[in-house]
Amino acid sequence: MSESARIHVPDVPLGRLIRMPGGKTAGQAIEDAEKGLESLQAESMVELNRVLKSAEELYARAGGKFNAMVVNAFYDLINGAVGLPTASKDRAIDTMLVSLADLLDYYRTSGEWGDKSVQVHLSTFQLLLRTEGARDRDGTEAILSGLQKVSRKAARG
Amino acid sequence: MGFSADSRARFNLEQVSVLMLEETPLGMSVLVQIMNGFGGRKLHRCDTIAKAEKVVRETELDLMIVDAMGRSGEGYDFVHWLRRSGVRPNCYAPVVLTAAHTPAAAVAKARDCGAHIVMAKPLTPRAMLDRIIWVARAGRRFVESDGYVGPDRRFKEAGLPKGVAAGRRREDGVLPKP
Repeated sequence: MSESARIHVPDVPLGRLIRMPGGKTAGQAIEDAEKGLESLQAESMVELNRVLKSAEELYARAGGKFNAMVVNAFYDLINGAVGLPTASKDRAIDTMLVSLADLLDYYRTSGEWGDKSVQVHLSTFQLLLRTEGARDRDGTEAILSGLQKVSRKAARG
Repeated sequence: MGFSADSRARFNLEQVSVLMLEETPLGMSVLVQIMNGFGGRKLHRCDTIAKAEKVVRETELDLMIVDAMGRSGEGYDFVHWLRRSGVRPNCYAPVVLTAAHTPAAAVAKARDCGAHIVMAKPLTPRAMLDRIIWVARAGRRFVESDGYVGPDRRFKEAGLPKGVAAGRRREDGVLPKP
């Protein structure tokens, strides 16, 4: 039996409002937003260092085996950090964080734990924070590609 | 709309009332800097679902930028509630849902909550502007059924925002038909 659906076109004032006189060009708006994000760089780096410290503590607390409470807290910590490096324009750290979140999501749902896979992500995290602004681009991409392979391999079992 | 983030046309967010739901202080700062840079002035900052629901009930909103809020997925639940709240016109407002990492178990929730589009973090000003311009398009159909309330997820006429095909992760891709 098919369910009934009401389909209509509601008024969306947003379209009219953004076309009102004044405002900015897209280029100017993007430039202004990027300048605003630059003002968050220092705060972002402090926060990422705090996240790394907390992540290392959680890794130590796991003690080399699956612990549901620790893995969930670990996942929440990393998930909350994705996007923070935007303020420092550091896409490499974001890529590493997403890879680690993928890995931890797999572990928390499968009940498994791969100590070395987590460790290599944390080592990379530490390296990326220490070498911020002074990295070899090709080398960094190779490392990140390696991390993503680690996450995918773990998820395949 | 007649323009994109690449065009020289002007756009104006000064009178646009925006709800922003983001639980982390720095995540909120990122969002505020982006929206201020775009010229947004009427920004309603909420770090909890309760505060966001209060703003929805008391203020007329033109746009909502809602974070999925991690493993709990409370952001998806908020959009689900909003669409069925009966608070007009806010229940029809464009919603850009941002997500850091979508747990495998939450993909269906993200798809079905009723957001106009799901945007993967990290947020960049260019991507955010593209999504705002895209959701502002007039004439998008709205579906209300027992199983789904939200914008029509068939993008045949509207097309996808720029850069979506090259999305980094699954939540930046095309949503399936309802």
